[in-house]
Amino acid sequence: MTEEMKQNTEKTLMEELGFTEVEIARRRAFLELGDDDIQELLSINKLAKEYADPVIEAFYKHLLSFEETRVFFQDPGLLERVKRAQKAYFSRLTQGDYDNTYIEDRLNIGAVHERIGLPVKAYLGMYNFYLRNVANHLYEAYKDMPGKALRVYLSLLKVVFLDIGLAIDTYINRREQLIGKQREAMRELPTPVLQVRDRLLIIPVVGILDSYRARQLTEQLLDSISATRAKAVLMDITGVPIVDSKVANHLLQTVSAARLMGATVILTGLSPQIAQALVAIGVDLSHVRTTVDLQSGLEEAERLLGYRLVPVGERTGTNQAHV
Amino acid sequence: MKTPILKQGPYLIASLQDELTDTDLLQLQDTLVEQVGRFRSRGVILDVTMLDVMDSFATRTLRNMVQAVSLRGAEAVIVGIRPEVAFAMVQLGLDLRLSGVQTTLDLEEALVMLDHQGQGWGRHG
Repeated sequence: MTEEMKQNTEKTLMEELGFTEVEIARRRAFLELGDDDIQELLSINKLAKEYADPVIEAFYKHLLSFEETRVFFQDPGLLERVKRAQKAYFSRLTQGDYDNTYIEDRLNIGAVHERIGLPVKAYLGMYNFYLRNVANHLYEAYKDMPGKALRVYLSLLKVVFLDIGLAIDTYINRREQLIGKQREAMRELPTPVLQVRDRLLIIPVVGILDSYRARQLTEQLLDSISATRAKAVLMDITGVPIVDSKVANHLLQTVSAARLMGATVILTGLSPQIAQALVAIGVDLSHVRTTVDLQSGLEEAERLLGYRLVPVGERTGTNQAHV
Repeated sequence: MKTPILKQGPYLIASLQDELTDTDLLQLQDTLVEQVGRFRSRGVILDVTMLDVMDSFATRTLRNMVQAVSLRGAEAVIVGIRPEVAFAMVQLGLDLRLSGVQTTLDLEEALVMLDHQGQGWGRHG
């Protein structure tokens, strides 16, 4: 909530969230926030200044009485600053001019709250607390004009809901960015091609296999086959969380491309869920050698290459048995 | 341009060149199918190492060659499909046309495989 934090996000947020004049107008229209509302709110600006202090005191008393929200205000200096900012905001609510600067300010505040990790439920809870508090003050002030109190309150609701919408949007935007970054990181996961024995490669595939990664994987595999003269390739998909028809298709293509170069691909690590899912969606893997785990895949590959793994002690005995 | 066909023991080896036209390919097919009978060859190796591209016509003709040769009693192997060629073929869906066709990495592998299959011949019919 410091100035410095604010500036970091200031430039991009409006653009990031796609806020144009049109979008802002659309939001206002949807809430039916018009000039009459602005007039109503302006008319209580003086009154709002009067009840500002009791409201802010009650607001922070409530906020600090819960462990969950108290943790955000450990530093007394911070608490004072935040109180002042909050007071300014409450008074700003009745000052009209809900323009670009206003929108941008609200977005930045939302971003700051998201960054410090204030839960949405607390954010909404405090708005609710504030509205109830103000409602009481309005009721008191316009005891003999209940219609006026209601009109002002409804206008205030519109502005508050405009602000809540903006804040929630910044929350969602931040989460989406995070998800995007994680997806990017997953994409960048390297898929190493490892040589286990002469002419035998292992590729452990980890993470989500999208078309970009599948392409990379295939190219890498084909180059490795050519470079190491591999005859058998174990492709282990234990670390692939989802195998849908698209991913299965990628895998089939990789297997097929390797076969064109004379290498046999053995698909290993098909979990029960994945096996069932493949059958359910009707993917035909009958032309692909598959095994349940890497160990059996390795055994099959060794058979294919003509290796036989025997414990040292049994070497002579086994040889005799087979010759 | 005529594709040279080398006779190596019981095998015929054809090295396909890059500038091969469709007509050359068809001519190669005729020659190979005929020579398999004349030399009583047991295996035919189609070496495509020199090819930068495999279009649908080339792929189809190669498959036809393999099938015709096997009808004349010989095993056929395609060898030396390059990584980038294999990748492109898969992208174009041409790989499916070669399903059931034997492929190996290079000539050496193909000879090993054919020798191996030749041994099994007597025993398994």
